[in-house]
Amino acid sequence: MVAIKRQSPVQFKVSPRNTEVRDNWTVALEYDEEGRGPWLADLAHKTRWDLQDSKVGEQRPCDLAVPATPGSCTFANDTLVNRMNRTQTSVYHLGAAAPALPDFAGYTDVTESTVFLALFGPKAFHIAEKLSALDFLDPAKQAPFLYQGPFCHVPCQIVTLEKAADGSGGFLLTCSRGYGDSMIHAILEAGSSLGLRPAGENRFSAWIRGLQE
Amino acid sequence: MNRLNQLPTLRITPSEKLSLNYRGKTVQGVAGDTVATALYANGVRVFARSLKYHRPRGLYSLDGECSNTCMDVNGVPNVRTENTLLKDGMVVKEQNVKGSADRDWLAFIDKLDWMMPAGFYYKTMHKPAAVWPVAMKQIRKAAGIGVISADYQMRGQYDEMFVKAEVTVIGGGAAGMSAALAAAESGQRVVLLESRPHLGGCFDYRVSTTAEGTPLYQRARELAKQVEQTGNIRTFKHTSMVGAYNNNLITAFQVGGATDAFTERYIEIRSDSVVVATGCIERPLIFDHNERPGVMQVGCAHRMARTYGLLPGSEAVFSVGHDLGLEAAVDLFDLGLKINCVADIREDGQNPELMLALAERKIPVLKGWVAAKAHGGKKVEKVTLSTVEGTVNRQFPCDLLVASAGLTPVTGPFILAQAKMGYDSLTGYFLPTTVPEKMFPAGRLTGVNDPAAIEASGRLAGLKAATAAGADMGNLVAAAEKAAASLPGPQRGCKLVTAPVKGRKSFICFDEDTTIKNIKQAIEMGFDVPELIKRFTSAGTGPGQGGIPGHNLPLFVAKYTASINTPVPTTVRPPLVPTFLATYAGYNHHMFKHTPLHDSQIKDGGIFRNIGVWQRARYFSDDFDCKEEILNVRNNVGILDGSTLGKFRIHGPDALKALQRVYVSDMSKLKPGRIKYSAMCNDDGCVIDDGVVVKLRENDYYLTTSSARAGQTVEWIRYHTRFDGWDFSLVNLTDAMGVINISGPNSGKVLAKVIDIDLSSEAFPFSGYQEFTLKDAIFVRAMRLGFVGELSYELHVPASYTQAVWDMLKEAGAEFGIRNFGVEAQNVLRMEKCHVILGSESEQRTNLLDLGLGFLWDRKKADAKTVGAVALRQAEKDVGRLKLVGIRMEDDNRPARDGALIVDNKVRGYVATMRKSFSTGQAVGMALVESQLADTGTRLEIFEDECNGVRLYARVVAMPFYDPKGERMKS
Repeated sequence: MVAIKRQSPVQFKVSPRNTEVRDNWTVALEYDEEGRGPWLADLAHKTRWDLQDSKVGEQRPCDLAVPATPGSCTFANDTLVNRMNRTQTSVYHLGAAAPALPDFAGYTDVTESTVFLALFGPKAFHIAEKLSALDFLDPAKQAPFLYQGPFCHVPCQIVTLEKAADGSGGFLLTCSRGYGDSMIHAILEAGSSLGLRPAGENRFSAWIRGLQE
Repeated sequence: MNRLNQLPTLRITPSEKLSLNYRGKTVQGVAGDTVATALYANGVRVFARSLKYHRPRGLYSLDGECSNTCMDVNGVPNVRTENTLLKDGMVVKEQNVKGSADRDWLAFIDKLDWMMPAGFYYKTMHKPAAVWPVAMKQIRKAAGIGVISADYQMRGQYDEMFVKAEVTVIGGGAAGMSAALAAAESGQRVVLLESRPHLGGCFDYRVSTTAEGTPLYQRARELAKQVEQTGNIRTFKHTSMVGAYNNNLITAFQVGGATDAFTERYIEIRSDSVVVATGCIERPLIFDHNERPGVMQVGCAHRMARTYGLLPGSEAVFSVGHDLGLEAAVDLFDLGLKINCVADIREDGQNPELMLALAERKIPVLKGWVAAKAHGGKKVEKVTLSTVEGTVNRQFPCDLLVASAGLTPVTGPFILAQAKMGYDSLTGYFLPTTVPEKMFPAGRLTGVNDPAAIEASGRLAGLKAATAAGADMGNLVAAAEKAAASLPGPQRGCKLVTAPVKGRKSFICFDEDTTIKNIKQAIEMGFDVPELIKRFTSAGTGPGQGGIPGHNLPLFVAKYTASINTPVPTTVRPPLVPTFLATYAGYNHHMFKHTPLHDSQIKDGGIFRNIGVWQRARYFSDDFDCKEEILNVRNNVGILDGSTLGKFRIHGPDALKALQRVYVSDMSKLKPGRIKYSAMCNDDGCVIDDGVVVKLRENDYYLTTSSARAGQTVEWIRYHTRFDGWDFSLVNLTDAMGVINISGPNSGKVLAKVIDIDLSSEAFPFSGYQEFTLKDAIFVRAMRLGFVGELSYELHVPASYTQAVWDMLKEAGAEFGIRNFGVEAQNVLRMEKCHVILGSESEQRTNLLDLGLGFLWDRKKADAKTVGAVALRQAEKDVGRLKLVGIRMEDDNRPARDGALIVDNKVRGYVATMRKSFSTGQAVGMALVESQLADTGTRLEIFEDECNGVRLYARVVAMPFYDPKGERMKS
């Protein structure tokens, strides 16, 4: 009898210490020896929506405003709303549970479409600069902000949630699900000398909770 | 050799011993040594032999300006050992020698220089022609700069990083550090690059003092400390700038130290503005045997003592053209070097304090004199000095000849940035006549030599760079300009190019063994432009990247041709410093896409191939004809991972209009519960994609594309509707849904065990579409298709559940003997049905009609003009086009290769796909042929690569080859 379970596009070589089954996902809550950072967390189970409409700026996903400018983000109540272009917005649900998809034709659930990772902690952006020419530490930009560009040569959506001049902070990254294995390998290799380790959802949740306080 | 271990300027740690293996013996060095200095400390004077004449070569610049100290280190040839830091356990060998560097059996070639005039390689040994292949092999054996095994694999970790900065400073000397500190006052991000392992530049090893009495080395360390304490300056030491590109993109590479995780690191810096503070190197003095071991530049001799604690000789003669030479003579004398004479090319203009210091030490100084010849064999034994006019000669014994004509600025970054270079008659430097936008020169390369002026010019450049990058530094810039103007400006430089010699053994380029005589020969043969002479004589084309001849060549050409034009330097190109290809390759991550079933396909024995951005299982056994896989689908049931298929949702009030625009069919005829197969063309009517479309609900559609086109589909539809202002949205779901194809006469039976819907042909007919939920959890889109020509279902499943559904089907199919089939089996199965794959049966010029897909085209669509329709209407009347036909080989055991040409007296077409069909027992395939060859029964002649004149023959046959009525897939 085949078990009905969902598979993340990302597999770490180490097994988590604590897990929880949620909507058929096996969610890693904590890993052994997560260390002092930086950390890489697999968020494949977090719900993501695509919202497209000719008047997307008038929409209010989860009662949050869609930012007026492409590249800008709204972050509150564990929900991130990223304005991509004139007609398109992505919505990330970063909490433990997500609401049902709104009854509006412009929404598409794209949770299955992408790899969803968080790279955060000390020197997070020193790892990023090994893999991308995007300027995550641009002093002119205030976190959170969205980049749509190459990370390790793969088109990505990247939301910087926190940044400091010393390269610490963190960001969320999505790219086509098929790149999961390649992307994880590239990030872990680039981060190996900086102590990058997998982290569970608990550490990620603590980080974003801190950002919202 | 005893070290000067107590000097405050040292960059070595004498107490930390390191060893290397040289010619089978263990040699001791210390931490901070380069490979070359460690060898020098152990008495090695001849490091390698020269490219052409096998002349002995020794330490000359200490900055890798020539190939003199290129050696084989840990199996890698051409390593510049004079700026390669020593690591414990290195294995070092000489290169380009027969025997050893000290006793090279090929040294006799030096006597045969008369046989090798400039350009001899182009002119000799070509007649008779048969001689050349023999001669070429011998020449290549005799000449060279190292050998590497063809299968050598670079060891180490090659890192890369992409840095953004408002200001980048190239050069970590006093000017560079001052520039970085000044720019950092703005709060901007500053990057500082220094090619040596430590900051300090020309201050680093000098004990002469600033106006305030601070020794220069101490001042350098003060500045370095300030730099390190400034948070917004990012310093990369041991990092050579190698390229400058548009919009101030600077590239560099960093050599990893003992504690670094990388061997070398490629760095790409996107900078708003750039300060070039690269300083000067020394302009080589040209005289007879000017590259004999024991001849070295001033900075080399001085740094050997002050940086590495090694007195470079015991008895020296200096032949110099600038005050740095006099300063070095005084300092080295104080450190214990006996100096027999200092010959200064200049008649006047020397720093009086230095002249007094020399006099106090009773060192004889000859003004207006120059070295004319270095005597000796494998090392200098004495030197002939001459007046610059050559009227009087004198000889002095020595084992060290410190020689330098003057200074020359390191202007590579400006040249790479496309600056126009001109000759400055005061300094004798080649300098940019117009500085590229947002690029600022600083320090010694501007001609200043006064320590305070060097720092002031750096500060001014740094402030200007910060301003150019957007900071408001106007007041500070004005103050810095005033301060710089109050200090000594550029100094007059020495103009002498060669000593008064004929030049047979006077080398203008060490790397290529190019002599002054060679340059004269080239000029006499009619070459009068330095760029051409460079190519004809090879001067400046070696590993030193023109460091030695770069300045002297244009000056000498101008002088020898009595040119009245201003000399122009030869061009340099990236990389300015030799770099490993491994460094450029960096991590070299292979970024491929995997399907949700990737791991299980591996477990099932899949043999993978890279297909576009995906890695796909092409075979499931070592039989690459896939006989068992194919027959299992034809006779039983097979299962295929088709997840790479492009999948999209298009929705919105104008979604149908967009579909009408890009598809050739009338998409308004889509019916609920049915799929519609159609194609997209480009404006030329050529087919660019095909797939199916499903109407999900009003204004909401689901469509598939070929795997190869999935990446471009959104842009394609947006592009072709860009002027319409239509309101529709596109979502790429390619990776969101895994696709499982279950095919074969037993496929329905397997599927029925897993799902709870009516699979009868009445309820779920061919071309039908259904949605259902599996196990109350998994939403499935199911299509009944027939690409492989059998009863076949395509299940589109959320990617995270795809493995679970696959496992269910495999479990259910076990009793039937279900087995995987791969992309190649699918390719043969569909070929037997003559179902086309775009890219296999089509190429750039193949239109919809050529492929026999004209039935898809609806010519009466009203709402939107179809992309490609105009061209298709014209093509309908064109009789000269290629047509897709079925062909069968006359020999059924010998299918032609894909891509083989169909010929008579010229090319008439080509084979698209051909295989031995196990279903029919025939060698069949599809070909694109000229229309007059398309009639059934036409005999075709086939040409394959390497067929040695033997042609293959086939005949045009009816399509499809298997189940022509389609009963199997539709039943």
